[in-house]
Amino acid sequence: MPADPNMKILVVDDMSTMRRIVKNILKQLGFNNLEEAENGQEALTKLKADTYGFVVSDWNMPVMMGIDLLRAIRADEKLKKIPVLMVTAEAQKENLMEAVQAGVSNYVVKPFTAETMQEKINKIFK
Amino acid sequence: MAQPRAAAKSQDAVNEDEQEDKAPDTKLYEELGELARFIDTTMKTLSEFSAPVNASTEQLPQAQTHLLNLKTQTEQGTHRVMLEVEAIQDNHARISQMLKEMTQALQQTKVSPALIQQMHTLTRTLGQDDKRLLDIMTALSFQDLVAQSVNKLVTILDEVEHKLLQLVVVFGPYQTQAAKTDQGKASEMLKQLEATKNASMDQDLADEILKQFGFN
Repeated sequence: MPADPNMKILVVDDMSTMRRIVKNILKQLGFNNLEEAENGQEALTKLKADTYGFVVSDWNMPVMMGIDLLRAIRADEKLKKIPVLMVTAEAQKENLMEAVQAGVSNYVVKPFTAETMQEKINKIFK
Repeated sequence: MAQPRAAAKSQDAVNEDEQEDKAPDTKLYEELGELARFIDTTMKTLSEFSAPVNASTEQLPQAQTHLLNLKTQTEQGTHRVMLEVEAIQDNHARISQMLKEMTQALQQTKVSPALIQQMHTLTRTLGQDDKRLLDIMTALSFQDLVAQSVNKLVTILDEVEHKLLQLVVVFGPYQTQAAKTDQGKASEMLKQLEATKNASMDQDLADEILKQFGFN
């Protein structure tokens, strides 16, 4: 199923510059319904309060890490089907394995290009 | 020539006999005294490091501030560039839409096909520039990596500061007489220092420890 350009997307990153970059790329890819959160806990609160179609999350964040957010999403009956794309500088195999085991939909390593992000989104929503 | 050697050997034998004759308590006492002198000398030698340690300890908070400023400045600079890129992207989107409408309008009139072709070329060029703008945007993700490295450095510096302050507390009393009277308080502060080991240390505590050892 192709990605719905009107779906609400949550961009989670503690760095304001990264949130802006990811939102810009998503906007250029045709997605305009974009929200943001600074950490996993804030993201979880937003996800529970509204309906989101996609989550793009960083790994290293204060308060609640991206991997813990992913586990919380997969453990929640209402949220568990939301695709989650991890965008992270954690390029070690162990991190990737941990994310895969936690149910990540795909994984982008920083620094990345717009093409890589588009490719991953296409794979998630094919 | 063999005579002096024989004499020395004989003197050694006498010394050994004297050693054996000493009471075990006296021998132990002498060894303890020697050990105490050795520890004292070592402590004094180590306390000579106090000056450079103190200098480093005083500079560490400054180093952390410089690093955090670096993070803030790169973040602000990155946002400034992003603001300009986004403004150009918005302009491009409007120009692109206008070009599309103009091309459609021109196609319905009897203009030269070459002019229509030029309009298409303009649209393609604009698209190529949009791609470059997006590349500039993603290239700015370097700031996130810089920030993460800075955060790691600040954590390392924080740990080093803890260790250096521990040295100041332990060896500081050798440096100033005033510090000797504050040894009890220093021990208490050392405990507080240990308690904050895994958290960001309160600067007030660090300053208070330094103050106790005469660094204002």
